[in-house]
Amino acid sequence: MAGFLQQVIVGLGTGAIYASLALALVLIYRFTGIVNFAQGELAMFSAYVAWQFTAVGVPFWLALVLALVVSFAGGMLIERVIIRPVEGAPELTVVIVTVGLFIFVNAAAGWIWTFLIKDFPNPFPGGALEMGGLSVGFGTLGVFAVVGIVMGLLYLLFQHTKIGLGMRAVSTNPESARLVGIRVGWTLALGWGLAATVGAVSGVLVAPLLFLEPNMMGGVLIYAFAAATLGGFDSPVGAVVGGLVVGVAETLAGAYVTAIGPDLKVGVPLAIILGVLLLRPQGLFGRAVVERA
Amino acid sequence: MSELAVHDLHAGYGGAQVLHGVSLTVAEGEICAILGPNGAGKTTLLRALSGMVKGRGSVKLDGAELLGRPPDALARLGVAHVPEGRGTFMPLTVEENLRLGAYVRRSGVEDDLERIYTYFPALKPRLKQAAGSLSGGEQQMLALGRALMLRPRLLLLDEPSLGLAPLITRELFHIVRTINEQERTTVVVVEQNAHLALGVAQQAHVLETGRIVLSGTAADIRADEQVAQSYLGYRV
Repeated sequence: MAGFLQQVIVGLGTGAIYASLALALVLIYRFTGIVNFAQGELAMFSAYVAWQFTAVGVPFWLALVLALVVSFAGGMLIERVIIRPVEGAPELTVVIVTVGLFIFVNAAAGWIWTFLIKDFPNPFPGGALEMGGLSVGFGTLGVFAVVGIVMGLLYLLFQHTKIGLGMRAVSTNPESARLVGIRVGWTLALGWGLAATVGAVSGVLVAPLLFLEPNMMGGVLIYAFAAATLGGFDSPVGAVVGGLVVGVAETLAGAYVTAIGPDLKVGVPLAIILGVLLLRPQGLFGRAVVERA
Repeated sequence: MSELAVHDLHAGYGGAQVLHGVSLTVAEGEICAILGPNGAGKTTLLRALSGMVKGRGSVKLDGAELLGRPPDALARLGVAHVPEGRGTFMPLTVEENLRLGAYVRRSGVEDDLERIYTYFPALKPRLKQAAGSLSGGEQQMLALGRALMLRPRLLLLDEPSLGLAPLITRELFHIVRTINEQERTTVVVVEQNAHLALGVAQQAHVLETGRIVLSGTAADIRADEQVAQSYLGYRV
């Protein structure tokens, strides 16, 4: 039993990371209806930016803040320059643009920092908290704390600030938002900046666990897609719950189902995506779109 | 509070011209009704006035040119448009919808919320409810309340009676009249229900296929039996 709970804790730890990237996906989807396939690569690039700051001697937490600022500006810039021209274009066009962005960012990171793996400093101490036969790594606790803070800040922003209210207005009725005087274009850019920042957090959390290299987010992106699909693609709460569920499911399947084992566990998110789309396409927390015939 | 002067306004969607040279003026603090059959261009006229469609010609509010500015800039100049379909932010609460109406303003928002509740007491117990859960009549009141939160110089109303029971529509027009009298807001109202609109307006224009075919005081137009039959679809 203790062994089982231990696995659950490990799963929740990785799940929290998936949750943060899924949150970034959901933010953009809610605002613009765009599924941003480049979200993982942007997070990877942000992790490199943080690494670059630490490499020139900036203390870790300051480097993190600087990387988040750079990510926010970068996200806004991408919306203005790359996404804006295809606003309102058919979905396939937009998907191709984000896939192109994926390839571009990946190649750019390789060009700037090479494809050799880099050691990313772990901001959390190595030990673990021992509790009734269970041990929770400080790293896992740190991940929880960071993701919790991000969620709390997003909640405050959306529910308790005027700009957050404007953002929610744009996501529900852009035309009417424009009529009350909201600059919709800038609000969409703000949404991209915010998503890039949240994604950057996931990149910085993943980097010490894996190694920093341009392809490190590929797997994480698939888990994040599973998390967002499970939670319902337009629900931030769903993204977080979905992330945790996917993390636990992946860990348990890897540990207890011998046929899956550690090698095949990447199949778990795909099974989750398929299962959700077949059984409950709107996900756990998503809104089902119902229209009268 | 403001005078609206439209001169030779042409507007449409892509290649399709809908308005062919519309000219009209609305004096400060007046209510102007735009009447006419379906497809005459009434909604397009309002959309051109609020910047939702591009137009050629001239639209001046107190002498300042409105054409060529985007809707959010016009909102900051004091143009409030209650669009077709009411433009409600369905998943947001009633209070959030009202606050969004005052998005471009900084001070006096709390006082204005109270002012809206005196016009529409029915909204007050529903402040924390999702706007989408309101009835059609309540949603129209909310839309009007949202527009008033801007403290508009020019209020544009598109078919406020659409889909509402006659009793509720009458109440709504009564409130429009009260607001116009108390705040001297200039109002342009597009309406299929000519009888109701003429009841509150000082002057009216009849639009047909993108041109104004008849203008006059509301009383004159109401009295003109010929007009009533051919354009307004009812007998006096």
